[in-house]
Amino acid sequence: MSSEPIERRVSYIGDRLRGSQCTLCGKEYFRGKDYCGKCGRKSFGKMKDIDFFYEKGKLEVCTFVGEPTNKFTKLGPYAYGIVSFHNGKVRVPGRLTDFLLKNGELDISCFEDKEVVPRFRRRYAVARSDVVPTISLAFTFADDYYPHQEYEILKPKKEYETPGIVGYGVYVSKFRIKEGMMERSVPFIDEDAVTAAVEAGKTALIHSGVDHSLIGKVYVGSESNPYAVKPIASKVAQVLKLGMEEKTDGIQSVDAIDTEFACKAATSMFKDAASLVYYPRAHIPFTMTVGTDNSQAAPRDELGGELDLFVGYGGSAFIFGMQDVIAELEGWYSCTSDTPDFWRRDREPYPRHGGRFTGEPAYFKHVMKACRSLMEQLKLQVSDVNYFISHQPNIGFPVRVAQELGFKEDQYMPGLQVAKFGNTYSGSSPIGLAAVLDRAKPNERIIIVSYGSGAGSDAYSLLTTSQIKEKRQRQKFTIKHQIENEHLEYVDYTTYRRLKHGL
Amino acid sequence: MKGQRPAIIGVGRTKFGEHYERGPEKLVEEAGLQALGLAGVERKDLDACYFSDYFLQITNKIGIEEGFLSELLELHVPMEKVRSFSSALLNACHAVQSGKYGVVLVGGMEKMTDRWDKIRDDLMLLEDPWSYYAGCTPEANHELLLSGYVKKYGISGEQLEKFNVALAQIAVKNHYHAIENEYAQYQRDITVDKVLKERSKACKSLGLYDFAPISDGASALILASPEIAKNYSDNPIQVLGSSSATDYVTFPSREDRTGFVASTMAMKSALKMTDIEVGDIQIAELYDQSTLLEMISLEDLGFSKRGKAWLDIYNSCKEYQGFYEIDGKKLFVNMNGGLKADGNPLGATGGAQIFEVVKQLRGEAGKRQVKVDGDMPKFGVISELEGFGTKAYVHILGEGLT
Repeated sequence: MSSEPIERRVSYIGDRLRGSQCTLCGKEYFRGKDYCGKCGRKSFGKMKDIDFFYEKGKLEVCTFVGEPTNKFTKLGPYAYGIVSFHNGKVRVPGRLTDFLLKNGELDISCFEDKEVVPRFRRRYAVARSDVVPTISLAFTFADDYYPHQEYEILKPKKEYETPGIVGYGVYVSKFRIKEGMMERSVPFIDEDAVTAAVEAGKTALIHSGVDHSLIGKVYVGSESNPYAVKPIASKVAQVLKLGMEEKTDGIQSVDAIDTEFACKAATSMFKDAASLVYYPRAHIPFTMTVGTDNSQAAPRDELGGELDLFVGYGGSAFIFGMQDVIAELEGWYSCTSDTPDFWRRDREPYPRHGGRFTGEPAYFKHVMKACRSLMEQLKLQVSDVNYFISHQPNIGFPVRVAQELGFKEDQYMPGLQVAKFGNTYSGSSPIGLAAVLDRAKPNERIIIVSYGSGAGSDAYSLLTTSQIKEKRQRQKFTIKHQIENEHLEYVDYTTYRRLKHGL
Repeated sequence: MKGQRPAIIGVGRTKFGEHYERGPEKLVEEAGLQALGLAGVERKDLDACYFSDYFLQITNKIGIEEGFLSELLELHVPMEKVRSFSSALLNACHAVQSGKYGVVLVGGMEKMTDRWDKIRDDLMLLEDPWSYYAGCTPEANHELLLSGYVKKYGISGEQLEKFNVALAQIAVKNHYHAIENEYAQYQRDITVDKVLKERSKACKSLGLYDFAPISDGASALILASPEIAKNYSDNPIQVLGSSSATDYVTFPSREDRTGFVASTMAMKSALKMTDIEVGDIQIAELYDQSTLLEMISLEDLGFSKRGKAWLDIYNSCKEYQGFYEIDGKKLFVNMNGGLKADGNPLGATGGAQIFEVVKQLRGEAGKRQVKVDGDMPKFGVISELEGFGTKAYVHILGEGLT
């Protein structure tokens, strides 16, 4: 049984790596401190809040932990050491994560003095009914899969009349499983839908250059929240410091909400996110929409185990606003019917689905209806569209639906990412959109159609602006980077199940 | 401490190891009775008790140890509970010196094996919580200190091999000393090869044989003011100097991570209370929670030069004669087998260290008796740590400095 007030305080500090700095002598501390030990009483009220969340550290010394303490046993062997920030001004303990022992062998001698990046992860294993403990005292090497990126807040250059996407980010883990034509992303054991949501949001903030305190609302769509009751969005808001923070009480002035509608939980909110920044009295300059899932599937030999061949892991985040827009939201169309093609009952660990019923009356019907209605509404021909993206539960469905709608390969292939990441559920079509935004030129039209079982579709038409190119330089952690990466690690089926099951 | 030097007039201890058939009261009773008996003191003569344990609350659900002790002794005198035995002794010394108490019982115990499956997690209570959250283990900081030390002094190649052997020799030496210690947890030999093999098995610089074990045990002593001591004992051992110092609980936040500044400070201030110098000390019971810490202690307490202790050990152990030779002087270290072989029941550990030095100074150590060039040793030091160098205690004992 964890004690919730302690949990709250630990994650408040640890998730963001909050610290303080004496404005008199410059001395820095991990964790908040009201005065500086060096300057004494005169430093009261002269301490500045700092944090190390976007910083790069150095692993000074480290050791291999082969026999962790009880709560850490599930993590398996890991490396543990001391990480310094700001040339040794602050030192913190840290665990190296994304760490799989190969053939039981390990040489950590080369680890020391390497640069590391803090990562937001689960802290250790707890009982299934307990609060999930998290921390960012987990690190990966800066020259590994996940690069260090500075978060530079930009002054807006241009106001737009139509709201749209001002920045986006995708996070997919470095572990993959390869079976047949499909590669699928696999979370590390300390990752889940919450950690991917935070990572995606962080990546989106870096790309957009938007001031985190100006984000007025965050939506997180997921169907694999580790909690039945407790939002992912509150974690995203707190860790990324969305909205203004009331220093005295540690509360963010932001609205945060989780949404659920199978795989369209995130895309459904695009129009809401865009509308809110457009509504003058809201005084909300920016909103963030996150789609995240550690896509669930029963083991292969169990009922519902067919999904186990397709599920992936990852998150996407899109920031909407009316300043420095990279893709304007031209229009949308959503449709819904009560179609039970895929579901997960409360307290059931894995979803079930309606077999062949999931295709024709479910996926195809809704996706085609939404796409055709949107095109009619905007009076668009297939040739007016540069890119078409649809929800990607497998390779066959999105290809067939694109072809039936009359789209050509050069229109639908750039956004087809399922063969690289698997079905990332709420992140699925948004990751396709991100892949397209990664390469689109100014003044191109993108249609994205999501699909959520249960069932419904959202179709959006986006028009890229001239600013898409300049902002692109701000993002190293692109879809391409996450696909063509020399540091990817491929795991076998047993390891995949263990990692996916998590702590 | 000149003038009013408290004296140890009786010591007692149990065998260390796993005592699954005996509860805490039995262990305390055995050690206590032994100390009282040796001192010739009756329970009713006791003015106060100082008791030490780390985890009795967790291991045995005893939250007010003083009450437990009161019931055991059927005494109602003032009692205080602290963590380490050295801390209990330091507090007792202060009380006796102030003239408040004349005869004091100092006792310590631990029953770690009663929580065998969780004790390593419990031990993390001695580190800072953030290190625990980040995945630290009771052994990890030893490794980090070692790594930092090796880097700081640029020890590599052949030197590093020697360094590793020197640390292994510490374990071998301590096991060798424990053979003649009837109270020791492990009365058996080990070899350098065995130590090294366990390290490579664990893929680490320190392995199973580098660390002190998990133990149960109790220890006790009777402390008296000098005037009272004369009535009970012909050869009381005086506490000549006694001190402690404190450092940050968070190891990564400390200025120096290649040694324990608290040890150095405690030793300095304890020495200041005596009329002797480091070089006059012949016996040292050091806190070898790991082999590395015995080595580091040699430097922290000022016996070896910084960065050179391992070399002193290596050279002394090539053909080990029962002592370390440092700058031409003999230093007998951990004659009871140290924490490594004697055992490490946290709250009782310091009592066993003191037990050994008292026995040696009184010439009652039997087959383990140390003779320095034919003479009985005169001065001994005990250093004990709480946590990973968070608190350091140093006691310097000697016979009759007047």
